[in-house]
Amino acid sequence: MLIKPSINILVVENDITILQRCRELLLDEGHRVRTAESVEEALNIIQKHPGDVDIMLLSLELPGWGGMTLINVVQKARREILIMTMSDNCGEEAIEAMQAGAYDCIRKSFTTDRFWTKMNRAIEAFRLRRQLDILTRQRQAALTTVRRDENLLAILQSFTDGFVVTDWQTNIVLFNEKAASLFDLTREKALGHPISVSIKSDELLSFFMRAIKSDSSLAPLMVGEEPIVKVGEKALRVHVDPVKNETGTVIGAAGLFHDVSTVSAMDKLKSDFLSMVSHELKSPLSSLLMQISVVLDGLAGDLTAKQLDLLGKAKEKTKGMITLVNDILDYRRIQEGKSIQKIESLDLAEILQRTVELMRLSAEEKGLSMTCEIAEELASFRGDRGGMEAIFVNLISNAIKYTPKGGNVDLTLNKAGKDIRFKVVDNGMGIPPEDIDRIFDKFYRIKTEETRSISGSGLGLSIVKGIVDAHNSAIHVESEVGKGTTFIVSLPAE
Amino acid sequence: MKKVLLVDDDVDFCEATKLLLDSKGYDVVLAYDGKEGLEKVRAEKPGMVILDVMMPEMSGYDVCVVLKADPELKKIPVILLTAVDQALFKTTYTQAMGLMTEADDYIAKPVEPGELVKRVEDLLSRA
Repeated sequence: MLIKPSINILVVENDITILQRCRELLLDEGHRVRTAESVEEALNIIQKHPGDVDIMLLSLELPGWGGMTLINVVQKARREILIMTMSDNCGEEAIEAMQAGAYDCIRKSFTTDRFWTKMNRAIEAFRLRRQLDILTRQRQAALTTVRRDENLLAILQSFTDGFVVTDWQTNIVLFNEKAASLFDLTREKALGHPISVSIKSDELLSFFMRAIKSDSSLAPLMVGEEPIVKVGEKALRVHVDPVKNETGTVIGAAGLFHDVSTVSAMDKLKSDFLSMVSHELKSPLSSLLMQISVVLDGLAGDLTAKQLDLLGKAKEKTKGMITLVNDILDYRRIQEGKSIQKIESLDLAEILQRTVELMRLSAEEKGLSMTCEIAEELASFRGDRGGMEAIFVNLISNAIKYTPKGGNVDLTLNKAGKDIRFKVVDNGMGIPPEDIDRIFDKFYRIKTEETRSISGSGLGLSIVKGIVDAHNSAIHVESEVGKGTTFIVSLPAE
Repeated sequence: MKKVLLVDDDVDFCEATKLLLDSKGYDVVLAYDGKEGLEKVRAEKPGMVILDVMMPEMSGYDVCVVLKADPELKKIPVILLTAVDQALFKTTYTQAMGLMTEADDYIAKPVEPGELVKRVEDLLSRA
């Protein structure tokens, strides 16, 4: 059993019987006890031996100077002392005492059990309070007196990124010149004042708070989370980390601010340009596809075998370009957070069936057998119809693409616990283990001898992932090279 | 022989699509902008109209609204055709516009020739 350190207790009581009883009970448990029979005597002890009183057990029925006066004095001068009161019936006077800062009240007619129930709680409260005090003092001492190391300061000034350090109460204790110019900080106005005074951004403040509270695991900042925050006209990529002392206690937070204002302006330009180009490409591509198809079907005269072959390839290339343009547009929309257009109650079975009908032709053309098993009476799902279609189309077309002739693609849609589960199983070429973590990255394509001839933008799976995330759903993949791949999408049922 | 009016400002698309639909036994009439489209609907009385959405002068949506507001012409089935939309979102956007304009069907460009023929056949057999 753990032996808890003893506590110094001062018992103030003019009724000798009660005084003695308290003393004995406390001594039995190994605490150090001092006694006083009057307010004057108690004050004397507190003044002469300040470290010797942790808890004061005080009678509220003292003659002369009342117990209340003592409470007020102690509350003012020695707040760290925890005051426990005793009275005949713990009535009005006890409530008044507690309002003045006393912790609780024990009836003088106590039994041993009752005495300890209340006393132990007071002792526990005192210990917690003391721990908190120590922590607070450690934290304050650690950061408010940042030692002025000239070299270190010079290094900080040379940063091209803004840098701001706060203590555990978000008061600014240090910043560099870049931060000063980003946020218009001056030493006089900013140092020692809360960051919220100098930098008007709730978002930013919340990052500092989260970093400071990270040891209480209230809202830990995610690893690698580097959001872009708008402060005034500027766009800043922000990273805030907790500052810890040797014992691992968080004593403050340090924020790095990278000015991406020009970058984000460029980004906007780039994406506007991309969608303009994509739209301008789609119309002519539509014509091209129609023209080639019509010639290929012999509607503009008979074709030789060689012409058929070449035109067939031209048609495939055109379709590949159309897919690429579509993927770019889809991906952009997801990036812009527009992946969910309209949330409604969906019958996934119906959507899947329609998608499978559309895809069946391409599976047959490739000589694959495709099965689709849909459980009866599935619960409905709240989501975006277009998004769900895109998940189905992308996963099924991938399975078809990466499964060689004669293979199987098996689809199931069923219930799994509270989720609706969509599963695509193929016995195709599989994904090498070193690639599996990256397949959801944009523009990532697995490059092997076998995949070279397969066209794709490398955006399909990142689109799927984007939609899955936007629907609070999960996607999971298992794969073995040469054996096949399984994708499982778990969607929360309504 | 069913007469189909195709309205699209992309001349190449019109010509190729005319070849396709002609081969399936339709009599295809072409118009290259919304206004001309409306005139031809009134003059030719086609069995169906295929309307591109993005056109100069008068958009396909506007043409469709005018058609559907005309008691004489509202029975003619209309397919909206658009490249604005994307594969991923083809349902929501065009569907919403289609409903507002009371179009009978909508197709996202680019469309596979087989798919276009199928939609035309479906709609005409329903009409």
